[in-house]
Amino acid sequence: MRLSPTVTAFAASLSGLSLVALPAWSASGADAPQDIAVTIGDKGCVPMELTAPPSKVSFKIKNESKRAVEWEILKNQSVIEERENILPGFVSTLTAKLDPGEYEMTCGLLNNPKGKLTVKAAITVEDRSKPRDFGPEIVAYKAYVTGEAEQLATGTRTLVDAVKAGKLEEAQKAYAPAHFHYERIEPVAEVFNDLDKSMDSRADDYENKEKDPNFAGFHRLEFGLFSEKSTAGLNEYADRLMKDALDLKGRVATLDITPKILAGGAAELIEEVAAKKISGEEDRYSKTDLWDFQANVDGAQKIVALLRQDITARDPALIAQIDTNFARVDSKLAKYKNGGDGFKSYDSLTPEDQKALKGPITALAEDLSKLRGTLGID
Amino acid sequence: MRKTSEHPDTAAQSATSPDVPSRRALLIGAGLAGGAAVLSGGDAGAVQASGIAPPDNDSTLDTQPFYGEHQSGILNPQPPSAIIVSFDVLASDRAGLRQLFQDLTKRIAFLTKGGEIPAADPLMPPPDSGILGPDARPDNLTMTVALGASLFDQRFGLAELKPKQLTAMERFSNDALDAKFCHGDLLIQFCANTAETNVHALRDILKNTPALLAIRWKMDGFLPPNTLKKAGTETNRNLMGFKDGTANLDTRDMRVMNDMVWVGSQSDEPAWTHGGSYQVVRLIRMTAERWDRTPLGEQQKIFGRDKTTGAPLGMKDERDIPNYTDAAQGLSIPRDAHIRLANPRTPSTQANLILRRPFNFSRELTAAGQLDMGLLFICYQANLDAGFRTVQTRLNGEPLEEYIKPFGGGYFFALSGIRDASSYLAKDLFERSPA
Repeated sequence: MRLSPTVTAFAASLSGLSLVALPAWSASGADAPQDIAVTIGDKGCVPMELTAPPSKVSFKIKNESKRAVEWEILKNQSVIEERENILPGFVSTLTAKLDPGEYEMTCGLLNNPKGKLTVKAAITVEDRSKPRDFGPEIVAYKAYVTGEAEQLATGTRTLVDAVKAGKLEEAQKAYAPAHFHYERIEPVAEVFNDLDKSMDSRADDYENKEKDPNFAGFHRLEFGLFSEKSTAGLNEYADRLMKDALDLKGRVATLDITPKILAGGAAELIEEVAAKKISGEEDRYSKTDLWDFQANVDGAQKIVALLRQDITARDPALIAQIDTNFARVDSKLAKYKNGGDGFKSYDSLTPEDQKALKGPITALAEDLSKLRGTLGID
Repeated sequence: MRKTSEHPDTAAQSATSPDVPSRRALLIGAGLAGGAAVLSGGDAGAVQASGIAPPDNDSTLDTQPFYGEHQSGILNPQPPSAIIVSFDVLASDRAGLRQLFQDLTKRIAFLTKGGEIPAADPLMPPPDSGILGPDARPDNLTMTVALGASLFDQRFGLAELKPKQLTAMERFSNDALDAKFCHGDLLIQFCANTAETNVHALRDILKNTPALLAIRWKMDGFLPPNTLKKAGTETNRNLMGFKDGTANLDTRDMRVMNDMVWVGSQSDEPAWTHGGSYQVVRLIRMTAERWDRTPLGEQQKIFGRDKTTGAPLGMKDERDIPNYTDAAQGLSIPRDAHIRLANPRTPSTQANLILRRPFNFSRELTAAGQLDMGLLFICYQANLDAGFRTVQTRLNGEPLEEYIKPFGGGYFFALSGIRDASSYLAKDLFERSPA
């Protein structure tokens, strides 16, 4: 149903309904400009946040304040479009075609807060049915993953050599830096279910916990090195881990990374943080969870960086929110960096900071779960 | 002390007890009827909404038979509430074990029928928790008793009589079993219309078997009462939002039940097991938040069903039967979809069908502060190897594993029923076994 412009403007100004909920522009009426109503009062605009399509739009600006006002659309403090001298009680129309992105709008008096205008990228039916193949991004991600897998193999070699030489302290030091590279590419590593179980399962996965003979991999070494504080009896586990790490490196080299693995990976990494790292249960013997926390976040940020242009074009508000929350997480984690040498113990994480991390991590999990849909990847 | 009287049946109860149905039951009945009338917009509720519900609408008087060839709680429709309780048996010898089954039999016979609770001596602790008041209603209660493999160890000399396929539950590839929630000597499945009735029955058992039983683990379960009322036309949804149980075995088909659920004389099992059934319990946690952040299309591909209608993907109706040999359908339902792996619908996999009777559960939080909820999976089958073991082995590695984590449960053998009060549960196990 297409409402007449007057009715639309009336309904929108009355209810303050967010226009995000009305994606009429993507489906029909491509030629006729869409009406978007905004009312200027004494204290600001109603609504304070507008969303517009990237096509031609008619802003119907009603002045309900007591004095003549001007209404401006700003980008980086400079005026993009404006309508001057709107008298009290009058409605003025401004027709414009804006590029996708974030804008500000003035709302009457200069000291009134500025409103926000988001211009969304068009998602046409063709866009959704024919998503890009993300060829260049996948090539770049593959290079990242391959590099991480190589560093994983190198780091594991250092760890394994120390274990087999019986050098406890060296082995302890080598644990987190090696495991770190696994965590950065966890969604890819998990494609190889057998290797993931062999390399990264936790004692929780077994009924007899640490005593279970099937408990192996990184966390089995971690248990020996940090809980039993000994390299005794670890040789076999060390050899197996080395073999697995090299196997993973080889398999990653020939892995066909799909757009789904790429875009879905960011969400998976943050889900890992939300479910395991934030509680300190991943590295319970060594307390090196914050390394893995950072590694998962790094891996997700890498994917977002590769897809940034596409996300921005389709949903600038989403990328802004993702950036904000990544920045929050990074700044909290930075407090726990150990100079140039990794992270402090999970035990030093204050309950306040743990709580302060939960919000942005949960918000990231929600936002990143929309990446695939936003980019039209099934 | 007053003499304990039991409900002979609903009609006699109403006739002999002037205070039945109680005022409370009436009020609850009226409230429910009123709600239903509002929801349906029909006029059927108009009469009931006046405040006087007919006594035969009082579901606290629902009963399931305790005596019979098989135990109740397996074929009868699921009520909304359940508790699964696994016990360690503390009896020190065979006589103690036999005593336990005799005591359990008596208590279950009373609790599932209901009746007057003996009056209490004020100087003594009351004989009953009092949760159901002085007149305990059956409320559709069933208490189904099953035995774990560990009961057949050296303690009671029963090793020779162990059901052939009964072992401790093995770990499947996606399991993260927690010993605190696994196995047990004896399992009681409590099912009733309300949680209070189950709790009442459990506390009665604990009070009456202090030296013989200790709880090992327990799990509460629930189902949507309004969907259950429309069983046959509507299917329960699990906490992942999908309909669960559409293609379950038809419990009204006695031939199918005899073939697939009940251990019979044609099997190579010890004679005492006949009329019983292998019971599998699996506590399966789901990652609720993460599931809710998964694209709808992917959720549907993981299960192989449309989330709204429950129809197999590419089909129209929930009860449409997918034909995986058909090229188009074979494409619309992925090979690793849950319904396709669970039941490939080939002639040879018909032997693997099981009777599912699951409940939902919701507990506290994980260490990371996420929701701890999921499926209290229960199933019954005549052949454990061909049934659950084979089905779960086929499901190993399914995409759904990304969102679920089995952490407990066990394998048990649900006893056959008993004919009347002259017998007791597991009697054949004692009387047909070497002294």
